[in-house]
Amino acid sequence: MSADLTGVTEVRIAASPFLWNSPGFRRFRRHRLAVFGAVAIVAMTLACIVGPMLLPYSDTFIDIRQRFAPPFSDPHVLGTDPLGRDILARLLMAGRISLAVGFSAMLISMAIGICIGMIAGFYEGAVGAVLMRFVDAMLCFPSIFLLLAISALISPSVPSIVMLIAMTSWMEVARVVEAQIKSLRTRDYVVAAVAMGASNRRIMFRQLLPNAIASIVVAATLNVAHAILAESYISFLGYGIQPPTPSWGNMLENAQSYLTSAPWLAILPGAAITLAVSSFNFVGDGLRDALDPRMDLP
Amino acid sequence: MSTFLVRRLLQALVLLLIVSMIGFAILHLAPGGPLSQFAAGGDMTQADLDRIAEQLGLNRPLPVQYAEWLWRMLRGDWGLSYRDHQPVLHIIASHIGATMELMLSSTLLAMLLGAWVGILGAIRRYSLFDALATIGAMIALSIPTFWFGLVIIYVFSVGLGWLPAGNRYTIGDGSALNRIHHLIGPCIVLALVSTAVWSRYMRSSMLEVVNQDYIRTARAKGVPERQVLLRHAFRNALLPMITITGLHVPTLLSGALVTETVFTWPGMGRLFLDSISYRDYPTVMGILMFTAVLVLLGSLIADLLYGLADPRIARNG
Amino acid sequence: MTKHSDGTTGSVFAMPALHRRHLLALGAGGFLAASGFGASAQTKPAPPPPAKPTGQVVVGLSQEPTAFNPLMPGIEVDETVWMQVFNTMWLADPQGNLTPDLATEVPSEANGGISEGGLAWKVKLREGITWHDGAPFTAEDVKYTLELINAPGFKSRTRVGHALVKDIVVKGPHEISWRMEKAYAPYLALLSNTFIVPKHLLEKASDPNTAPFNGAPVGTGPFKWGQRTPGDNITLVANERYHGKGPYLEKAVLKYVPDQTALYAQFRTGQVDLIIGTGIPANFYAEAVKLPGRKIVKIPNASLEILMPNLEHPALSEKAVRQALYASINKQAIIDVIFYGLHKPTESFAPQESWAYNPNLPQQSYDLAKANELLDDAGWKRSGSGVRIKNGVPLEFAVSTTTGASLREQCQQLMMQDWQQVGVSMKINNMPAAVIWGEFYTRSKFQSLLVGTAFRTVIDPDPASRFASDAIPAKNGSGANQMQWQNAEVDKLLKEGQETFDQAKRKAIYWKLQEIVREELPILPIYQYVPVEGYKEGLIGYEPNINARQNTWNMGSWYWAR
Repeated sequence: MSADLTGVTEVRIAASPFLWNSPGFRRFRRHRLAVFGAVAIVAMTLACIVGPMLLPYSDTFIDIRQRFAPPFSDPHVLGTDPLGRDILARLLMAGRISLAVGFSAMLISMAIGICIGMIAGFYEGAVGAVLMRFVDAMLCFPSIFLLLAISALISPSVPSIVMLIAMTSWMEVARVVEAQIKSLRTRDYVVAAVAMGASNRRIMFRQLLPNAIASIVVAATLNVAHAILAESYISFLGYGIQPPTPSWGNMLENAQSYLTSAPWLAILPGAAITLAVSSFNFVGDGLRDALDPRMDLP
Repeated sequence: MSTFLVRRLLQALVLLLIVSMIGFAILHLAPGGPLSQFAAGGDMTQADLDRIAEQLGLNRPLPVQYAEWLWRMLRGDWGLSYRDHQPVLHIIASHIGATMELMLSSTLLAMLLGAWVGILGAIRRYSLFDALATIGAMIALSIPTFWFGLVIIYVFSVGLGWLPAGNRYTIGDGSALNRIHHLIGPCIVLALVSTAVWSRYMRSSMLEVVNQDYIRTARAKGVPERQVLLRHAFRNALLPMITITGLHVPTLLSGALVTETVFTWPGMGRLFLDSISYRDYPTVMGILMFTAVLVLLGSLIADLLYGLADPRIARNG
Repeated sequence: MTKHSDGTTGSVFAMPALHRRHLLALGAGGFLAASGFGASAQTKPAPPPPAKPTGQVVVGLSQEPTAFNPLMPGIEVDETVWMQVFNTMWLADPQGNLTPDLATEVPSEANGGISEGGLAWKVKLREGITWHDGAPFTAEDVKYTLELINAPGFKSRTRVGHALVKDIVVKGPHEISWRMEKAYAPYLALLSNTFIVPKHLLEKASDPNTAPFNGAPVGTGPFKWGQRTPGDNITLVANERYHGKGPYLEKAVLKYVPDQTALYAQFRTGQVDLIIGTGIPANFYAEAVKLPGRKIVKIPNASLEILMPNLEHPALSEKAVRQALYASINKQAIIDVIFYGLHKPTESFAPQESWAYNPNLPQQSYDLAKANELLDDAGWKRSGSGVRIKNGVPLEFAVSTTTGASLREQCQQLMMQDWQQVGVSMKINNMPAAVIWGEFYTRSKFQSLLVGTAFRTVIDPDPASRFASDAIPAKNGSGANQMQWQNAEVDKLLKEGQETFDQAKRKAIYWKLQEIVREELPILPIYQYVPVEGYKEGLIGYEPNINARQNTWNMGSWYWAR
């Protein structure tokens, strides 16, 4: 009983940064770039969800006579691609895919990373050592090398690309969580809970995890940015999401041969990627400042 | 110190073993194989393909192939490339120069530029310059490297004609000037991310140092501000920075692969790509092991320097 | 299999992830027959070649030559090196005639070189030829080459045809004979692509698979091995003792630029003197022809772009379905829009320049009404979703090709839109080259493939390894009949074709074969490739050759007009 109580109090303290007037949130609001990033993410997400329904063109409608229309030409605001498809429609649909890939890859990699990190941090002995050596080994591969090697295993589709990205980006999370859990383990309330005979799983999920949430949220935000970028790299290297499904990465990939004749084909998706990724990075940075007061230098 | 080193080296060996297992498993479990290249041509029959698979030993159980690879590796034999029919070590050696040239030059550029931006940002904290540098660094970290490379080529090679669009040198002209001219584009592209990282770390590590007591003391004693910053603050901020560089090796290698691809730079990144699409297993394994050694070396050096910089760090991990 | 340059065939596909980019881009269109080509390329009378080798040429390639032993596994681009360093006993000229090189004449039934109905072969070799290291070339080298190909431990590229050779006898320093296990007409063509290697160097090596020779080849060709910067270029130098025409160039540099767009950019700026092989991407053709000081040529090529159905697929196994699909491919849109009008539509598996080509096949026309009718008649009923169904089998399948081939992806999307209108549901299932050309292809695990390939044996029209029912790897056959086509009449014709040496008789056989293939559609032919190559003005001697795998086939006789 009392173990529960201690847990709850701790959670309340840790979760308080999410309340509007909490010091953490005020710090976040002060961080103008982070606010800009958050607004941009919301706006982009809304545009990608609602936008395609409002447009007269579908992203897959082929109209050969209209191919290579430059931006600001009459019916096509952002022009058309080599098959005469509306670029705005494709950009928004691609946004759905790319953002969805980013979020889902983040969720999966967080799940993997948190589990491995928690287990490694909680059971320090042999289990922890083995798991963390595995994490270290995975980190010995430069990320693109790993992405490429694993992409050889799969045939490219949206779910498999999500898995691919998740499988190559959970290690940092695992490290962060492991470190957090390790340090939290020795806190009094945890020691108390152990003494009260609480089960390991209960301690991990009810007490340790909630208190590591601040660093997990920061890592998750940066992870989305990483995943969106990774999708574009995989596409660039020829293993990306396959047509007719558009993604920012494969739009960019297909634009390369038209760099001189139709540069807008490459500029627009590139700009979309940069905007999305930097927004997530701004928010992640802001969250770190807000949630981790130690970083708040005098 | 020496026990620390021995421990780290032993750990590194264990890591390399795990790395080799993961790499080997990923490669060999992938569908397709080194024979795809020939099957696609259509002039080799199934009988030819089956025979070559047999001759390359690709039909044996995976653990046997791994054990054989490991045994040969331990004796210093990295195997023969399927694509090149040459020893893997020889192939890596012939590509490493180009990659090192690119990595070292861009690291140098990133250090200089990053240190300058970081220091100035720290001195003029919250100034317009600082704000712009912060935004710039974040954006630099968010741009897909290959896209930035394409933009550079589009603007400076195709548009203005100032830079060559690729290659390491012009055939028949291997002069230093020619090589430097070719190096500019890829060097800038690869340095982008490192510069951003360096400037951010430099800024915060300068801020940390500036608030230390001895700096305050120096200021109080009337030492000129410029001297305070360069003599005392910069020197003390620098060591931790070097450790960052060591830890930055994997990112740098990834960036090099992409940059080499965009600028048709004949280095290890291109070799890796070509080898992986050919499923040239011995070469891919060789490169993976080689990069893993580089990464481990980078982090080992980082740890050692970190220990030197801050003797308070206990060397127990 | 001429150069599948385009990458169409193997190489391209196979090509490393990065070439992937525009691989496909090749293209070129309506072209002139192979004959008379050289004449059209050079109008003014050419100045005479220099007295001694001078100057250098930089040849741009979008794939890297890496295999230098011409008997070991390699891809087409490797042949750019083999052709310079080595020689074959005879080779094919642009008109398809075999001309002697290391041999004094091409054996035939008329000159007695081939006798006993094709079972006994005899070849006289040219005298006075030396290897690059000065050793004399003799019949022993030919014998060694043919034996090495069949040597059990040696990783030879292909033993097709060679496996039939037995009883090789050296009758004198420059005369050799052998017997064949059965009459096999295409062997003449196979030997036109079999480079002869030096016995005295290779037999010294304990294992020819790892001989130092493989990294620094020595041959009899117009150029000697110079040096290689891996990942970048290979430099060849003139062989002043060459027995044929030339060489007139002092140096030839084969420059690897791993991307077709980048390669074209370097051609435009003059860093490379010519582009061969995968060529200039179709989307740059219009721009390229306007480049000052550059000659851009559409070159003949024997590769076809086809849709290869898996005939064991429940829907694709039905002839009516294949005919309906064929009638609803908008070939003209594909060629004109995606490939800028470069490629030429075709109905046959044989290249239009071949002596075996049958020009009287029915013309495909884009006709959705006819396609609908064919499917209605065959009992494929439209379901609620618009996809046709017959006996519970929906009319749906996937089309696969290599990832990153962006023009081909556009092609797939056009086909998808057209087929949707006739009640066919097509999906795209693309994969990386190393995956798609693995068991997925060789063991017929695909539903259908969009692929560029050739249906002949080197330059011989014999397509037995692609069409014979004993050539299905998925059914323990040993060829490359991945469609899994089985047709007794075809098997009979293929056998006759191989055993007949008389060209007129063979022509009748192959015409009949083309009619059957056009009717049964075991492959849906879309177009014959017309790649674009380009070279700097002033380069004399460059001559496209549909019968050579790379257009560096006559590099020994190139020179600069200066």
